[in-house]
Amino acid sequence: MRVNGGERVLVGEGERVEQSLELFKLRRGELGTADPFTCSRAFLLELSINKTIKTAIMATGPLRFRTPHIEELPTAQSRQSAGFAWVPVSGAQDDPAKNWGTTNRKRQRQSTGGQTDQQKEAVSARQQREVERRIKDLNSDNSKETVEIPKKPGQQPSGGAFKIGKTTGTKKIMSSGKGLQHHLEDEQAEIDRTGRREGEVDAPAPNAQRASKTPLHRRKPREDSSASNSPAPAVSSMPPPAIPRGMSMDTAAELVQLDDSDEDGENQLPGLPSAAEMEALLNAAPLTYAQARAASPPPGLPPPRRFCETCGYWGRARCLKCGAMTCSVVCKDEHDQSKCLKMYA
Amino acid sequence: MTPQKSRTELDLSSQTLVLDNGAYHIKAGFSSDHPTYKECRTFPNCIARTRDKEILVGSELAQCNDYGDIDFRRPVEKGYIVDWEGERAIWSRELEKGEIKCNPKETNLILTEAPNGPQALQTHSDQMIFEEFEFASAYRCIAPTLNAYNDTRSLFGDPQAPSLEALPAEVLLLVDTGYSHTTVTPLFHGRPAHNAIRRLNIAGKQISNLLSELISLRHFNVRDEPYIVDEIKEDACFVSTDFTHDIEACWSGNSNRKDLDRSVVVDYVLPDYTNTYRGFVRPHDSSRAAELRRLGLSTLDQPKEDFFPLGNERFGPPELLFNPSDVGLSCEGVPGMIMQSLSTLPEALRPGLLANIMVVGGCSLLPGFVERLDMEVRKRVNSDFVVRVRRAEDPVRSTWLGGARLASNRSLLRQHVVTKQQYEENGAPWTARQFAGKRGR
Repeated sequence: MRVNGGERVLVGEGERVEQSLELFKLRRGELGTADPFTCSRAFLLELSINKTIKTAIMATGPLRFRTPHIEELPTAQSRQSAGFAWVPVSGAQDDPAKNWGTTNRKRQRQSTGGQTDQQKEAVSARQQREVERRIKDLNSDNSKETVEIPKKPGQQPSGGAFKIGKTTGTKKIMSSGKGLQHHLEDEQAEIDRTGRREGEVDAPAPNAQRASKTPLHRRKPREDSSASNSPAPAVSSMPPPAIPRGMSMDTAAELVQLDDSDEDGENQLPGLPSAAEMEALLNAAPLTYAQARAASPPPGLPPPRRFCETCGYWGRARCLKCGAMTCSVVCKDEHDQSKCLKMYA
Repeated sequence: MTPQKSRTELDLSSQTLVLDNGAYHIKAGFSSDHPTYKECRTFPNCIARTRDKEILVGSELAQCNDYGDIDFRRPVEKGYIVDWEGERAIWSRELEKGEIKCNPKETNLILTEAPNGPQALQTHSDQMIFEEFEFASAYRCIAPTLNAYNDTRSLFGDPQAPSLEALPAEVLLLVDTGYSHTTVTPLFHGRPAHNAIRRLNIAGKQISNLLSELISLRHFNVRDEPYIVDEIKEDACFVSTDFTHDIEACWSGNSNRKDLDRSVVVDYVLPDYTNTYRGFVRPHDSSRAAELRRLGLSTLDQPKEDFFPLGNERFGPPELLFNPSDVGLSCEGVPGMIMQSLSTLPEALRPGLLANIMVVGGCSLLPGFVERLDMEVRKRVNSDFVVRVRRAEDPVRSTWLGGARLASNRSLLRQHVVTKQQYEENGAPWTARQFAGKRGR
């Protein structure tokens, strides 16, 4: 390339454009930026370097200033230019010719180097919302408005007091509008604060594992920590009380005895726990609501099975727009007409 | 030592009211020397408002003729009494003029609740019992424990106990599927092993809701009629032992409607409240005439009836108990929960529990539930373990009967209850600890 005015910058064919630009900027610095004419030239050259060299030559026409004449000088390395420039890209790139023009979002997701974490979050968040909505519907009580309690027609002498409650405690209980969720959250807050439940004398370790709020599908498997479910070790402070029913002591002793008598066999079951151990087991404090819920199944199992939305048979095909499963073309048509999200969303 | 002494000297009143407070029904009755199921009264635990804006409390619901468009208020949520205002109204109505008329001040009370409840709700219950209703004495326990006092030996076919007293079963694994939730509780001599109790929030209500959603989407809008959907569930639903086979039987094929398998697909006829007051099931009629009649396009002069076919709606919703992942819940079903519960206990105790699995609760009345549960548990354990799963004779009232048998044994009862006087002397936290079984304090 040659720039009018003298300065010549050689741009080899295979050379990176940035390098040439850098070089040119250096040169421009020497010229000094005060000169407007030089500046404009510099600007134009920058412009041209960003595009292909051919268009730079073309672009000289409509501009107002006296544009520099740029011609490509043949160098030792010049070849037939392909009309494109290689630019560095971040991330792995498959052959774009493979999935050109595809509208299949699944393929697209796979080919463009996988989804970003953000996109994956968005998809799973939407699914999670759907699932939660479904579960909430299942748990609903179908009550439209609160049904009022019928007022008794003035039978009691002190009508008002009877209605609300006999003592202050009961008044408070009956007039509180707390739902179950409130109570559960209150209890959780109490545990976090003081490390023990109301009414328990011996507290479990204060850093007991908090009932986690992460949705079940994201929960990592919990290791057995000492501060998890069983506060049984803390019970040692309480002496095992006498077993109230005489029968149980005998049978417990019998059970233990039975085991003692067949000690020779090596393939016997491990010994039954002693009476003290049983007491410890039974005297353990009850779990909180969250701790007692059934845990998620082990990860090795097959994925949850899906059913057709329209007829209930096995789901075989997923709707591209809303992700619902249908079993056949007939059901899919039905789905598209009435239930697909594109009708609402 | 003193509390122990004064307790054995207590003279309890002769009448004991056993109240099994469920989310759907209350099972209540007075215990006697030899209690039977006949003494148990069952009435709905709700306040309902009918189509005509009439309000019915508890057992008054039986007077209602028209169950369409009825609205319910249930004080029990997920097994715990949350709405005491409503619950008080129901209880007082029954105690005053209903099925269990009595004077609370002269009666002992045995009240059941669900396990793992918030401590605050438990204290609320105690306060209400003693301060509002003023029962003479009370014992509040978790529902599964009462079942241990039933005659489990004859249920499992074991030889009879040496003494005739109602002593609790030594080892029992109780599966309680009610309306709002399902729990698995291992019991030893009637006392629960707290660390091993597991709960699943799938039971009658969720099954009914899913059923109503499926029917509303596919055939007929029944979303506003939960009572009717409950009836449909009781009449037509079952638990399938071979899910794949049943679902194939219900498929109508790609576009040619081959004849559906009659043994699985049925028609359900809704009540019209002029001739019939309750729906019923009849075998599926897949002829064209029936199809027209269903859509209301028939020209024949026949009484108009609303009916629709039920195929995989019959066994799909109950399948949730075994596979909650069908609807997206990532919990294990009942068999998985049993295994989880057992895994927290010492190995030596597991064979005893597996051989004594007792199933109670309304949902266990679904045909095929026990067989399916038996099959699933066997799949998950070694073949050299003995697995026995039995359903109580009357699963709905079994807990009540256990409580009544406990109450009939006065010495046992005396050990458990807390009198009003003791409550007032020692306070609510002490009472809660007593009920939780921590004696000797």
